[in-house]
Amino acid sequence: MIEVKDIKKNFGLKKVLKGVSFTANKGEITCLIGINGAGKTTIMNAIMNLTPIKGGEILIDSERLTKETYEKITFIPDAITMLPQMKIGEALQFMKDFYKSWNEERAKELLSFFRLKEEEKISSLSKGNTAKVNLLLGLGLDVDYLLMDEPFSGIDIFSREQITEVFTSHLVEDRGVIITTHEINDIEHLIDKAVLLDDGKVLREFRTEEVRELEGKSVVDVMREVYQR
Amino acid sequence: MRNYVKLVDFELKRFMKIYLTLIGIVIISQIVGVIVESNQFMDMANREMFEGSMSLTQFLEMYWPLTMSRILISGWFILPVGLSAAALIFYCFFIWYRDWFGKNTFIYRLLMLPTARINILLAKASAIFLMVLGLVSIQLILLPIENIIFQTIVPLDLRVDMTIREVINSSNGFASLQMLLPNSLVQFFAHYGIGFMTVFTLFTAILFERSYRIKGIIFGVVYCIIALVIFLLPSSLEMVFSEFGYFYPEELFIIEVILGIIVTGISIWVSHYLLNRKVTV
Amino acid sequence: MKFNKRDPVYIQVIRHFKQQIASGHYEPGQEIPSRRELANQLKINPNTAQRAYKEMEEAGLIFTEGNSPSKITKNEEVIGRIRDELISEAIDNFVTAIRPINASLDEVIGLLKEKYVEG
Repeated sequence: MIEVKDIKKNFGLKKVLKGVSFTANKGEITCLIGINGAGKTTIMNAIMNLTPIKGGEILIDSERLTKETYEKITFIPDAITMLPQMKIGEALQFMKDFYKSWNEERAKELLSFFRLKEEEKISSLSKGNTAKVNLLLGLGLDVDYLLMDEPFSGIDIFSREQITEVFTSHLVEDRGVIITTHEINDIEHLIDKAVLLDDGKVLREFRTEEVRELEGKSVVDVMREVYQR
Repeated sequence: MRNYVKLVDFELKRFMKIYLTLIGIVIISQIVGVIVESNQFMDMANREMFEGSMSLTQFLEMYWPLTMSRILISGWFILPVGLSAAALIFYCFFIWYRDWFGKNTFIYRLLMLPTARINILLAKASAIFLMVLGLVSIQLILLPIENIIFQTIVPLDLRVDMTIREVINSSNGFASLQMLLPNSLVQFFAHYGIGFMTVFTLFTAILFERSYRIKGIIFGVVYCIIALVIFLLPSSLEMVFSEFGYFYPEELFIIEVILGIIVTGISIWVSHYLLNRKVTV
Repeated sequence: MKFNKRDPVYIQVIRHFKQQIASGHYEPGQEIPSRRELANQLKINPNTAQRAYKEMEEAGLIFTEGNSPSKITKNEEVIGRIRDELISEAIDNFVTAIRPINASLDEVIGLLKEKYVEG
């Protein structure tokens, strides 16, 4: 389980996180929802120790992050994390060189699933294909937790469909996934849990099926309620 | 350790194209330089002695015999060496900032590697150090070759031969090879030690900037000044109180070595802290 | 299959299965997709597919023998009950919708016969 406990952060004088708490379970898809500037990406960065926090604590399976933790949790930002001059094959080799948890077989499988070729240079790829390579770099790791920042933003509909398919496949099975989005419609049926953020605060954290079953509301209904209050 | 070696290899590969281009420029420019300068000298000698009917003695009195060290101060030598130096100094900054800027976000990858983050810094410093050593070695190989070319073009009467060591020691100014290729092993370690210390101090300043952004620039500059003051304190004391002869030269040297190690150590420790706790993507 | 957004997804999945069973689209004893395949086909969370299967298993709609894939129940009684349940549910909805209009039963039945045969 990933536990985010009361984390705070400032950018200069602006408070970007004002005490954010939520949890994300293994084997579930947790979605951080909020408009741009709500602090979603900052939370991801904070979980990965890619930016310092001012207060609070983040625990991954009850422990603080160390360098070894990067073998069991990974983050897929919204831009590719490899050099544009590298070929896809070189990028995969880089991952294999540095991570014990790199699963070459699965990487190969993803490569053919996404119809990508190892000889292709990253800088020559379309936006959708770049996003797929980026996804591949994270999904190829045998990690317990996978963080994705806006995996659907700014890509074509077919790439979108392919990426959605990943979420319902064995590629994500039994992992804990946290994704951020400002556009919930496409993935409403995919997520287990939603965390609604605004202005650096969690407005509501709920299980989607529970809200449907007990309150008869869709995720969007809850959002409308929470954000228009 | 294995990750450190892999990172050094990776950092070297990333700059290899530009680095090889630099080496190419150095080799071509210097070889062409020796040929051009030697030929120009020979043309002049021919003109003065055959057309201007100057005797050999008169010519040598007026123009002096040509030496390698005279060729060494020509633009053919100074410019490519200066270019390489400028490129490597520039690369000390670029080696960090390139990971943050642009369409890719490679710094995410680097910081998420399952390895101590200080390895990233050590690898970058090592890559720069190896590239400096590489260029110096190329120069060391080039000099005897250039010497042979020089001796083939200019006849014995019109030249004075120097050993490579003499050539190096006679060079000065911008193309001061003596700094890069000192006379003794101790000096070698002293010079490269200072170089190492400077790179680590600079890296720390860069990490200050990367951690605190605008405020970090101030921290970085202040950090560099403090490092400089610590390192230069004994020698400046020595200058101020020179009449007393405060330290023996050996003492001063040992103190500087210790201070150099301390400054480098502090830089690495501060960098380690910044990389683990403060740096931001 | 199209989901509505306000009912729990697992309940919608169960309803989908009931319809398939009642209509005979799924035959008794027929193998059904694994929870993973189902999640993939319907673009839903695998946990939700899992939950739907669990509930259906408990209700006797499907059964699993050992490690082999789950199958549609062979119990005619259960199938009959599902059919009755669906029909009764649809009629209930219909009645709730038609009652406020105050049409007479004969009128409704007449029209119903006409439309049902047409459709």
